[in-house]
Amino acid sequence: MTEQVRACRPCQPQDIDRRAAARRRFLCMDGHRKEALETGRTRLLVAGVVFAFVFAVIGLRILDLAALSGAPSHVAARHPDGAPHAAQRADIVDRNGNILATTLPVPSLYANPREVAHPKDAAERLSRVLPDVSPGELAARLSSDRAFIWLKRGLSPRQQYRVNRLGIPGLYFREEERRFYPQGDLTAHVVGFTDIDNKGLAGIEQSFDEVLAGQHRSLRLSLDLRVQHILTEELSKAMAEFRAIGAAGVVMDARTGELVAMASLPSFNPANPGAADSEARFNRATLGLYEMGSVFKIFTTASVLESGAVRIGDRFDVSKPIRAARFTIRDYKPKDGKLTVPEIFMYSSNIGTVHMAMEAGTEVQQNTLAALGLTTPASVELPEVGTPMLPSPWREINTMTISYGHGLAVNPVQLTSAVAATVNGGVLHQPTLLTRDEAEAEASGKRVFSASTSGRMRQLMRLTVEYGTGGKADAEGYLVGGKTGTADKLRGGRYARDARIASFVGAFPMDDPRYVVFAMVDEPKGHKGTFGFATGGWVAAPVVREVISRAGPLLGVEPRDNVVVPEKEEHPLLVKVGAVKKDVRVAAR
Amino acid sequence: MQTQGLRRNPEMTLAQKALQVNWGLVFVVSVLAAVGCVMLYSAANGSYDPWASRQAVRFGGGLVLMVGVALVDIRMWFRWTWFIYFGALALLVAVEVMGTIGMGAQRWIDLKVIQLQPSEVMKVAIVLALARYFHGVSEEDIGRPTRLIPPLLAIAAPVGLVLNQPDLGTALMLMMVAGAIFFAAGVRLWKFAVILGVAGAAIPVAWQFLHDYQKQRVLTFLNPESDPLGSGYHIMQSKIALGAGGMFGKGFLQGSQSHLNFLPEKQTDFIFTMMAEEFGMLGGLALLGLYAIVLIYGFAISLRARNHFGRLLALGLTANMFLYVFINIAMVMGLIPVVGVPLPLISYGGTAMLTVMTSLGLTMAVYVHRDVRIPRRGLDDAD
Repeated sequence: MTEQVRACRPCQPQDIDRRAAARRRFLCMDGHRKEALETGRTRLLVAGVVFAFVFAVIGLRILDLAALSGAPSHVAARHPDGAPHAAQRADIVDRNGNILATTLPVPSLYANPREVAHPKDAAERLSRVLPDVSPGELAARLSSDRAFIWLKRGLSPRQQYRVNRLGIPGLYFREEERRFYPQGDLTAHVVGFTDIDNKGLAGIEQSFDEVLAGQHRSLRLSLDLRVQHILTEELSKAMAEFRAIGAAGVVMDARTGELVAMASLPSFNPANPGAADSEARFNRATLGLYEMGSVFKIFTTASVLESGAVRIGDRFDVSKPIRAARFTIRDYKPKDGKLTVPEIFMYSSNIGTVHMAMEAGTEVQQNTLAALGLTTPASVELPEVGTPMLPSPWREINTMTISYGHGLAVNPVQLTSAVAATVNGGVLHQPTLLTRDEAEAEASGKRVFSASTSGRMRQLMRLTVEYGTGGKADAEGYLVGGKTGTADKLRGGRYARDARIASFVGAFPMDDPRYVVFAMVDEPKGHKGTFGFATGGWVAAPVVREVISRAGPLLGVEPRDNVVVPEKEEHPLLVKVGAVKKDVRVAAR
Repeated sequence: MQTQGLRRNPEMTLAQKALQVNWGLVFVVSVLAAVGCVMLYSAANGSYDPWASRQAVRFGGGLVLMVGVALVDIRMWFRWTWFIYFGALALLVAVEVMGTIGMGAQRWIDLKVIQLQPSEVMKVAIVLALARYFHGVSEEDIGRPTRLIPPLLAIAAPVGLVLNQPDLGTALMLMMVAGAIFFAAGVRLWKFAVILGVAGAAIPVAWQFLHDYQKQRVLTFLNPESDPLGSGYHIMQSKIALGAGGMFGKGFLQGSQSHLNFLPEKQTDFIFTMMAEEFGMLGGLALLGLYAIVLIYGFAISLRARNHFGRLLALGLTANMFLYVFINIAMVMGLIPVVGVPLPLISYGGTAMLTVMTSLGLTMAVYVHRDVRIPRRGLDDAD
């Protein structure tokens, strides 16, 4: 009893006789207990209702994901008797009509085990014809008591003939459709692949899954198989030469944003994607995000010129490293004194670029990069698209590092379309894997830079190839202009000295750019031939040169003798260039 | 007073207790574990090795543990509460120290037989501690804000340690379970509002004291899409797999997403996706139904318990179970950010199995001893 009284201390009455007091205590305690019990129960029930509600939401979500978005064709495929076959999945072709993916009927072998008289014997004989299925497993399947069981799907015609010749009762064929990829690993990252029921799992096969399943007309892509082949071959050569772990490349029509070629290495065989490791299945061109290094100076320079904060003749002191926060910004090859904007660009001076970016400020940088589509995921028609990694918050120090391409990571495809916008007269076209003619492009394009800024940038990029760091990209007759990039890779929050991304982005011909070519090599190692260098200028620029000189004629761009734009004998802006005595053959229009 | 207590609650023999164990619940739990083993068999491409067989053995051990825990007198658990709580807290401190001495983040203590994750143990210990505390607080006292300080401290200590690991997911789970117990104990709703408000106001201040890398971690947690190579991509693949399953699924061992290794961690965090791909929407809903039965059992036990301690304990443990299931399934369906929470009884993993089976055992212990009275002031100091 004591304990009950204690429990009820607050309602102790003072001066009533003991028995009454005791009764009252009891009653009052009873009341309290009851009230507590009531509150407790109500609250328990409320909690229960909340839990039930959340469970119902999850259940509905499962319904939504599985039943409403799932394709009913699977169910048909699992029940061989009855259900008619779904319409044949449409082909995927390149811009010239070459087949990238097609559907062929293949026989699949199944059994009605109830009709198989001697399962063991049948399994043994079958296993001689189908060596990749073990006799034990065949025997187990043939002795099951079901009326239908798959033995092997997708037989070759020869295997079908042999199975027929065995004459085992109870074995049947069912015609199925199977996806074939005649180009193999060449277009695997773009085209993607399907599962055994022909449902798209990656690439175009996934993003256009419903379209492909529902129509017979082929789906035409903007890819040009020939260029794709050239790009892949040149990238593989560079990968082998520099013992790199991977490479990626993009060729884009500068006027429309069409992707003429897009490659990611290592690649995989889309007929058997399960055998490939995730590294090979990873699309570096769209899903990979990289700090692009000096290539970003294209955007910094264009934005500061466009904003009017910096003029082409302005000079900046590059002799002293910049100290900001805990960083010290240095140049790869330090120069003395003051450099003009073209010199900063062609020598790829980090210090000068940072000074220029600070003249215009953070806002200009943010707005320009956003307008170029570098802060949002690229709108390319693939499911595998990486979201750019941006600094947050975006402080002054970030503006400094981003100006020369560190502290902000984008994928190669969006970088290429941003470069296209910088050189094509200043209009951004979203990258696309479908064909797009110039009229459509004109309607959907968005102006980022003025025509005059774009013209300036063409000059600067041509200068870089002619006299600066991009010399090895100069494909003769194609007036190539471009920019090198070498960025140390982040490893566990720290920049690694021995692991870098070497890249080059170029456009041609620079007087009226038709195509933009981007090449990137992941973790190249220098060798004797490059004097140990593994920078963008040594590794990626030659790839771009080879791609342009091989693909240029195929794409209908004629090589010309260099168009010489006679300027003053001494280029007024190239104070420090030793080559000024020569004609400065900056293509300008 | 002990004797009086005994008189009111005559001791049951072990056999009597065994009869009282919720064998129906044991059955449902066994079905769930069997489903888990089947899925692990499939996850290994049709092999008992390396997951299904070990999981089955662990479940066997867990089953014995569960029934054992259920038969122990609820008053014993009541008595050991603080010991268990501070033990778990000490373990958390120990991993913290070991993590500092060793390399990087450490969440495990290696007991040779099993690797123990103290934060998992804490999920049970915190429920015990809070249930015991609120058992001793009368209805009027709950109204006093000062009475809420000790339990808030009891939550803050482990949450702080877990956050430091860093494991934001577990920390949030601890706080949510604690919230459920506070709610059931009858804490006034406006106090929740105050605490949420204060926490909300404190975040910007605390933010200033974080290191840059810590801020980055939090941001990545809040917005996993910013890490598209990791979580965002996996969630996408997970959704495809769920869609691919359709109504009836692709059939056992036939899930192409899972067997082509598109799903990460398919034996642990993403096992529900694989299940839904192979057995379809109906399979997924059936599994959800089984969990619902377990949760309803927990609720019924909580409602039936006549002592406050038992009621809060059962509710807290049920809330725990609910959060496991909800967070895991909502995560693989892309409803909430990616948090590494296993699916109880299905996912491969030792500590989680241990914790879940102990929780279920404690819940049953509440039922077996549902009519036992526990004095408000506790057992030992009752005169």
